[in-house]
Amino acid sequence: MLSSLAKNKVSRRDFMKACAAMAVYLGLSESFAPKIADAVENASKKAPVIWLEAQDCAGCSEAFLNLTEPTPTQIILDTISLKYHETIMFGSGYVADKALDEAMKTPGYVLVVEGSIPTADPLFCTAGTMSDTNPARRPVVETLKEAYKNAAVVIALGSCASWGGVVQATPSKGRGVSDIVGKEKVINLPMCPCNPDHLVGTLVYYLTFKKAPPLDIHQRPLMFFGTLIHDNCPRRGHFERGEFVTNYGDPSQAEYCLYLKGCKGPFTFSDCPSRGFNDNVNWCIKSNAPCAGCSQPEFYAGFSPLYEKSNDVNLPGIGGVPSETVGTVAAAVTALGVAAHLVGRSVFGKKKEGDK
Amino acid sequence: MANKIVIDPVTRIEGHLRIEVEVENGVVKDAWSSGTMARGFEAMLVGRQPMDAIYVTERSCGVCTMVHGLCSSRALDMAYGCKVPEAGILLRNLMLAALYMGDHIQIFYNLNAPDYIDITAVAGYKGNDPKLLAIKDKIVALVKANDTAPFTPAYKGDQYTLTDPEIVTTLVSHYIQAIEARAIAQKCIAIFGGKSPHQAGVIQGGVTYHPNLEDLVKYKEYIAKVIDFVQNVYWKDILFLGSGPLLPVGQAGLGGGYNNYLSGPEFPLDNSGKNFLWKGGVVTDGNLGAVQPLDGQKIAESVAHSWYDYSNNQPLLQPFEGETKFNLKKEGAYSFLKAPRYDGKPYEVGPLAWAMTVQPKEFMDIVTKLNIKPGFLARHAARAYQAVDVSKNVMKWVDELASLMGKGPLIVNDDKPTPDSAKGFGFVEAPRGFLSHWAVIEGKKLKNYQQVVPTTWNASPRDANNVRGQYEQSLIGIPVPDPENPINVVRNIRSFDPCLACAVHIIHPESNRILKFVVE
Repeated sequence: MLSSLAKNKVSRRDFMKACAAMAVYLGLSESFAPKIADAVENASKKAPVIWLEAQDCAGCSEAFLNLTEPTPTQIILDTISLKYHETIMFGSGYVADKALDEAMKTPGYVLVVEGSIPTADPLFCTAGTMSDTNPARRPVVETLKEAYKNAAVVIALGSCASWGGVVQATPSKGRGVSDIVGKEKVINLPMCPCNPDHLVGTLVYYLTFKKAPPLDIHQRPLMFFGTLIHDNCPRRGHFERGEFVTNYGDPSQAEYCLYLKGCKGPFTFSDCPSRGFNDNVNWCIKSNAPCAGCSQPEFYAGFSPLYEKSNDVNLPGIGGVPSETVGTVAAAVTALGVAAHLVGRSVFGKKKEGDK
Repeated sequence: MANKIVIDPVTRIEGHLRIEVEVENGVVKDAWSSGTMARGFEAMLVGRQPMDAIYVTERSCGVCTMVHGLCSSRALDMAYGCKVPEAGILLRNLMLAALYMGDHIQIFYNLNAPDYIDITAVAGYKGNDPKLLAIKDKIVALVKANDTAPFTPAYKGDQYTLTDPEIVTTLVSHYIQAIEARAIAQKCIAIFGGKSPHQAGVIQGGVTYHPNLEDLVKYKEYIAKVIDFVQNVYWKDILFLGSGPLLPVGQAGLGGGYNNYLSGPEFPLDNSGKNFLWKGGVVTDGNLGAVQPLDGQKIAESVAHSWYDYSNNQPLLQPFEGETKFNLKKEGAYSFLKAPRYDGKPYEVGPLAWAMTVQPKEFMDIVTKLNIKPGFLARHAARAYQAVDVSKNVMKWVDELASLMGKGPLIVNDDKPTPDSAKGFGFVEAPRGFLSHWAVIEGKKLKNYQQVVPTTWNASPRDANNVRGQYEQSLIGIPVPDPENPINVVRNIRSFDPCLACAVHIIHPESNRILKFVVE
């Protein structure tokens, strides 16, 4: 990350350029570059991070490891001090448990949570033992409550940690971090898996300004979740013309709108169309697969069946937006416009005739 | 006196695993393997539109990403009656091939290698390779700042721990390169599948993505880097370590277990359903001369020691009839994993099982010559060789796909409606081993959905006959001279590449039976 640039003695000019790019990336003016530079260059020590895995699939950890600029190695070696992360750390068993207990004693760390928290029974997810002398299974919900106390900020990474995601409707009743510990301190970075750019951007913002970036009512940073996928979709023109994919295999429909195939883009806030995944090599809609709405609280069960046209056009609520978030209000207005469009066109399935 | 050791969490794996071992006279006498997290995807899918299973089960695991989406699509290929077009087969192969290479690299370097190195040895590096010197500087700086997380704390090393500064520094450098190589492999999946982890493009009948030459060129450029790492770094490191510093581990055969091996057919070479790069098979009691064909009818699961109930307490249920009813208070249960059995017996799946059933000549010659026995080193060797085998085929598939491009290749058969009632199963020989999905459709909705996952085979608890699972059995006899430091236990468990998130949905030892592994 930026601090690795600083420490690797790249030219001052390149370093400031990178900081300016980061400022833009965070939706700030370039004039913030010196402040970002100061935050990453003059940090007295690496930011301690505790990363808990609850009912997860490690997909968000894998997404983090897919970062290319900066690389995960740069982040781990130069920017953060990763005190606990089950998939990465060298220690196991009581050694790992002890590392966690030690790290939780010093207030001020960043707490990252991946995976949902089971509410049907705490025993649906345990990691570690209760203590040195009590080998009973340690419920992750207890660890989360304890880790929350001394955390400076909590990042709920991925849809499962944000609000339960795909685990919400299972018998284990997976819920988000805020549902367990309250909203204070919690930043949601949903999506399945998370977009690792969102994690880096949020970390840099936090390290620079020592506070969370502006959030929407679902506690998502507006800089990443302020726009509707449908509004920025490269296939939007086909939607307007009523050109829809009805058969995935038909090359003449290859670029058409996926709404009839169940696309949730009209209900989903995220910057996927511009940011993409895996170093922006692709994203779902570009691969001709419908958006599943994975950044929304309704995901997954509220959007099921995923591969069938959505009949109701209830749009996600956007109330209670803070004053600095004019963008979202605009997005909300647009969203209502989309609803009208959908009622007017798609629901009646106006398909371009003559195309097969 | 026996010492009970609890290892929870077992880190550097996917998911939540707890291992308990009983140690007597410095060796493991008994073992219990517990999956400690469950979500309940199978139960959630009942009553839903069948295609949802593709999307939901893909999320069983973010490390074995894509294999569940693929397996589910194959189960629905059968249920919907779709024949996948040739280009669809090739695109699926190209994604799975990228996963194989990226995954195996990560398993060895990022998840397992830390068990064999003393990272402080880096400080003694005396060479002049600028890359290695940079690593030395970095590690020394971390030590000076007294902040060496996540590399410390860790278990202490033993006689198998590498301390030579040159070797350790090189491995740390490869550890870092491996993170980058696996990210490139994930990009290759994303080129066709939209993103990775959790690609979006594989569905029943084929894939959604329409290929173009520009993307094929991009895939080739990226995958070439991964192939280079597999063939020129990974395989060479394994050969060096396996024939040199870690040869005693391999010859000791620590962590063998039952020597029952099972693998499925993979990398279809056309859409006949008959021709595969690997045909798979079943080896029982280490009898390598008698590889049997895999029979899906012989797969069944027990929940005798798992936190589930079966109606009427049946000892085993075939997956089409399978049930997922939680009972977290069940007496005698200790895992969220069911216990899959083949013909009533526990089997190992994964790269070693692949090697023992497919028996690639080059690999068999090497292990025979070095007298390496089944166990954790053999698992790493088989995994590396499997990655090499994939790497030799992948470019051929890109070229085959390119040759179809002028003909407007059909990628998917998307004209089959959801059947009123149907059954379908799908197999994938995944990087972690044999995976199967079983779908029952009634009234156009899922009536039952069951996943029998590689780690469930390997990490299963005891079954209704109280027979241990393969992890449990393979731990018997593992040396643990210092109970504070059960490093051989985690070395052995990690060599299986545990993946507990998807696995959920250690006595009657056959006393000192030595099974034949080396082919004469």
